[in-house]
Amino acid sequence: MSAFPGRERLLTMLAPFSQGTAAHPAVSFAGIRFLAKELQLPERDVMTALLRQDIWPLRLVRGRGAFSGEDIARLMELRILMAGCGGLGGMTAELLARMGAGHLVLCDPDVFEESNLNRQCFCTEKTLGLPKAEACRSGLLDIAPYMDIEALPVALDEKNLPGLLERADVVIDCLDSVAKKKMLEKAAWTAGVPCVHGAVSRSEGFTMFDSGIPLPCALLYPEEGEQAADHAPMDAHALTVAGTSCLMVSLLMRRIRGHRSGDGRLFHIDLSIPELEALAFRSDSAARDTSF
Amino acid sequence: MSIQIRLSTTLRDLVPGYDPENGLVFELKEGESSLAARDVARRMGIPPEEITIVMINSRQSDLDGTVNDGDRVAFFPPVGGG
Repeated sequence: MSAFPGRERLLTMLAPFSQGTAAHPAVSFAGIRFLAKELQLPERDVMTALLRQDIWPLRLVRGRGAFSGEDIARLMELRILMAGCGGLGGMTAELLARMGAGHLVLCDPDVFEESNLNRQCFCTEKTLGLPKAEACRSGLLDIAPYMDIEALPVALDEKNLPGLLERADVVIDCLDSVAKKKMLEKAAWTAGVPCVHGAVSRSEGFTMFDSGIPLPCALLYPEEGEQAADHAPMDAHALTVAGTSCLMVSLLMRRIRGHRSGDGRLFHIDLSIPELEALAFRSDSAARDTSF
Repeated sequence: MSIQIRLSTTLRDLVPGYDPENGLVFELKEGESSLAARDVARRMGIPPEEITIVMINSRQSDLDGTVNDGDRVAFFPPVGGG
C-alpha cells in the first residue's frame, strides 16, 4: 500500500476528475476509482482520506454546507448495525447511504409483502417475496457501490446479538415491537454500544439516542405485560417513516459532530399536525459515556 | 381551572371527534385544583389500562402523577412499530 498523497499532489492527480474551485474541490466517482486503483486502496478508504483533506467526493459534496469533511469521514468509518430493514430500517439505511455511511450490517428475517409498499424504501413490486435484508443491500449498492454491506436474513435474539454488537460502533433500532426493542437495548447497553431508537404508529413517531439515559425503552415500557400488546402490526405510512428516520439519522449525525443537546430526550413527531416535541425522561442522566 | 390534553395514535379513537391540532380541554370540578392522571383519563372515558406513557408538561410521569390546573398532559399507548 502506498502512502496517501498530500493535498497538492492529490489535486494534481485528480484534476481531470475535479469540479469546483481549488479551495473547494469535488471529485467524480471516476476520479475516486482512479485513485483507488493507483493507490491500491478500497474506494471507501480513498473517500475517507480525501474528505479529511476537505476534498469532497462529488456524490457527497452537496452536504458540505451542513457538515465538515471530518464529519462525513467519521460516518464513513462507523460500523453500523441495522436492526430491522422494514419501514424505518430501509429508509434509515438509504439516508445513511446518501449521507456517506460506509459500513452496514442489515438484519431482518422477513420478506417484502404487498402491504409494505406504502412505506418501505426498497419494497417494490419487483422485490415482493424477497428477503428484506438482501433487497435492501442490493438497493443500497445501487446508490453507493463502495459500501461494505452485509445482509443477514435473521431475527436478532439474545444469542446472536453479542457477536453482532462486538463488531458494531452503533446500533440503529428499527425493530417492530416493544419487546424486541427492550431486548436489543439491553444487549447493546451490556456491550457498551450506543443505540439510536425509532418507533412509529400511524402518523406519530418516537426517536431517542440512549446516550445519557440508560435503557430508555424499559423506562417507557416498564411493565412486562405491555409487551403482549404490540404483537399486532402497527399501522404507519410513508410520511411517518420518513420523518422519524430523518430524526434518527439527525441524532446520529449530531453525536458524530460532538453535539449532545439532544441526548437523553425523547423526540415525538406528529405528522398529522405537524409537530415536533422534545420530551424528558423521569430518570436522571446515566453516567456512562457512549462516544464512538 | 382547566387542563390541556393531547392523545396519541389509537387513544384518539376513544374520543369521537378528537382534533389532533387542538387536543382537548379538561375542566376540573369546582374546588379541585389537581387530580391524578388516572382520574383525568377515566373522566374522559379513556380506560387507564389503554395508556402506557404519560407526559405532564413534556416530562415523563405515570398514571399516579399529579395534574394541576394549567398543566399540559399527553397520553400515549405503546408506540413500537418499525
